[in-house]
Amino acid sequence: MSLNIFLCGVGGQGLVLLTSVIGDACAKSGKKVITGEMYGLSQRSGTVFVHLRIGEDAFSPLIRYGDADIIIALEAIEALRYIEYLKKDGIILMNKRIMHPPIETSKIITEKGTKYLTVEDVVSKLRNWTPNIAVIDALKLARDSGNVNTENTVFLGCLSALEAFPAEESYIRESIAEAVPKKTVEQNLKAFDLGKKNAHDSLCTLVACKSAP
Amino acid sequence: MVLKDVITNEKKSAFMLCNEAIVRGALEADVKVVAFYPGAPTSEVLDTFSEALGNFDYQMEITTNEKVALEVCAGASFAGLRSLTAMKSVGANVASDTLFVLGYTGVRGGLVLVIADDPHAHSSQSEEDGRFFAPNAYIPMLEPSSPQEAKDMVKKAFEISERHRVPVIIRTVTRVNHQSGIVQLENMERTGFKKVKWKELREEFTTLGEVARQKKLKMLERTEKLTKEFENSEFNFVTRGDSDAGVITSSVSYLYVLEALKVLNLQGKVSVLKLGTTYPLPKGMIRSFIKDLKRVIVAEELSPYLEKEVYAIAKDTNPSVAIFGKNSGTFSEAWEYNPNIVVKGIASVMGIEYPDYAPIIQDAKQLKALIPDRYPTFCAGCPHRATFVALNQALRIQVAKGQEHYFANDIGCYSMWVFPPISRSDSSLCMGASVGVANGLSHAIEERVVAAVGDSTFYHAAIPALIDAVHNGNKFTLLILDNSVTAMTGQQSNPSTEFTAGWKQGKKVSIENICKAIGVEFLEIVDSYDVKNNVEVFRKALDYDGLSVVISRRECALYGDRNKRRRGEPIVPFHVDKSLCKRPYMCLRTFYCPAYDIDEDQQPRISQDLCDGCSVCSKLCPFQSIKRSEVKA
Repeated sequence: MSLNIFLCGVGGQGLVLLTSVIGDACAKSGKKVITGEMYGLSQRSGTVFVHLRIGEDAFSPLIRYGDADIIIALEAIEALRYIEYLKKDGIILMNKRIMHPPIETSKIITEKGTKYLTVEDVVSKLRNWTPNIAVIDALKLARDSGNVNTENTVFLGCLSALEAFPAEESYIRESIAEAVPKKTVEQNLKAFDLGKKNAHDSLCTLVACKSAP
Repeated sequence: MVLKDVITNEKKSAFMLCNEAIVRGALEADVKVVAFYPGAPTSEVLDTFSEALGNFDYQMEITTNEKVALEVCAGASFAGLRSLTAMKSVGANVASDTLFVLGYTGVRGGLVLVIADDPHAHSSQSEEDGRFFAPNAYIPMLEPSSPQEAKDMVKKAFEISERHRVPVIIRTVTRVNHQSGIVQLENMERTGFKKVKWKELREEFTTLGEVARQKKLKMLERTEKLTKEFENSEFNFVTRGDSDAGVITSSVSYLYVLEALKVLNLQGKVSVLKLGTTYPLPKGMIRSFIKDLKRVIVAEELSPYLEKEVYAIAKDTNPSVAIFGKNSGTFSEAWEYNPNIVVKGIASVMGIEYPDYAPIIQDAKQLKALIPDRYPTFCAGCPHRATFVALNQALRIQVAKGQEHYFANDIGCYSMWVFPPISRSDSSLCMGASVGVANGLSHAIEERVVAAVGDSTFYHAAIPALIDAVHNGNKFTLLILDNSVTAMTGQQSNPSTEFTAGWKQGKKVSIENICKAIGVEFLEIVDSYDVKNNVEVFRKALDYDGLSVVISRRECALYGDRNKRRRGEPIVPFHVDKSLCKRPYMCLRTFYCPAYDIDEDQQPRISQDLCDGCSVCSKLCPFQSIKRSEVKA
């Protein structure tokens, strides 16, 4: 059985790098990985997503509807945007960060009574699909690591805690060090550790995890 | 991108994007000359070659357009060097004039041309089926389904190209180019780069009239030889099942078929013919595959390219076989496929009850009814936003004076103009077409025509249309949005950049000098960020009774950030001074900048992480409440 991970976020959050590190760590661990990545326009701020599948019987680069084991959303609204890919009762690992697109803000100033969608609104909708939702304050953890741009690595730390995630930690750390800019290796490894630690307090109350360090 | 695996001498398995695997394959095959114009979904082929350039001695050009790229490769190939180019389907249209001729003239050194189609038009203006280039130009074509296969096929394509003295097309689709997977790295058998002596190689690569007629006959002979060769190609293979049903497929659809057979418990039951050489097709192999089958499913995206061949072959071989594909309504010619579509199609043919995914989509739709769209938009700090703010103001003033307008847009980041909330374009076709269309419109409509092109698009395809405008005295306004790079595809260099491939120093080609040399009489150059001044310049240009050209210049914000980081300069954002802000929301209404939102006091707020520090909004705030922050977090 393959492990199907659907990753999504907003252009500029480092989803492509995250995918590359996960894939590289899996390759080093001797696992078969296949992805379907969607980007093309290089502008920031658009929606981006990646289908990532680990396992010998993962043939298609795209996940079927209702067949993802996990959604990893680097931005809160994006978790809901692709919910059709998640298994009923699957896991949602999502950022507490919400980035309001300009079109939403423009509605608020032009249409009386409109309000921003909140993380709570998103989570309450998601609960109709699955109870297994972990909300991570990745921006805070990234700042704690010393580099605000390491939200993606925080999520990798969370993912690494899962029992079902087959890449070995030493390889993940190696892949991070090889993929990120040299000056930010320390910060990224710290972000990874903070993410892993955070998972043991949140995500791991919902699903089986490797034992805490 | 992890470059180390692309350039390593180590033989190991690596996780790679297909576009990187294409580069790796070409490097293993000792490619000597590469040339590209960027375009999704192939841009990473260019980017990877550019990044790797410091490690090898191949020659690389980022050319003005795809036709020039193919010609660079043809030149190298005539001299016996291996060459490769990659382009998106619509780029292949531009290069096709040369492509068709190369079918006649032939080549010497292996010439490989990657053509990437974009079913679903994810990042293109049309869903084009580039497979038809191959039979039309009598040029062989290989179609990979995965990164591993892409690498293998690129290597093989060089051999085929040299053996048959013909370019070889590697045809991909977005879901192949942007698929990553495990790739087995092989030997890098590279030789040093050395110029050759033409007098030792001299032969003619010409075609016209009687020469063309003779070469046509040779092309037909060549195709016959290739057909025979492809009957035994390792890229075509059959997996036999024990039922009377079989699937014929190619490209990424093959992977969806494998997934579908697994999901439907049909592995070992349904036969599969996977085609990798899709021109010329191995007709004998197709014949023997369908000979004893009662049902054949053809799974391919876009046109019924394989399906029509299967019908033709079945007519002689097995007239009673039932063929399921586009004609039967099992699959659509529209949009890309995915595993859901292929599972459903195969289940219906095989008479298997399979739970429809429609209810899942329906449930999801209900949950996300309220979420806002996240259209691509101008980045924070994008100079195009400032240009369009000024243009909007100028147009409004002109409208009040009684001048109406037609806006002809083009291909580039400024295409975002058509997405809400900043939506206004009367037309947007293909590279450079805004200027061509403006010529026609200037004869046909009473309103003032405004056309816009970027720097890269200007060099690529707009110059002939501008010469046409000057020569014929056509009256319209052209904005040239010069942001120094080909921004939309990832800030590649172009003749407006001080760099060439591999970030080597290049000579900038002056857009204003081109315009002057052509004979443009009204020519203004402005700084895109200087909105107040630009409103006046645009108004004058719109009032000018003739052809007026305004170059709006300021480097792409993402490229600028990259340069700042390289120079060690900080990016200093702005913030809203809440004590001064009277909430007219002019900043929000005018700019739609993604760095902005509204705080709990209903006041505009600028994200310190997202703001690029361009300063444009600060200059236009009527209460001067937008101030530069101390340092960026």
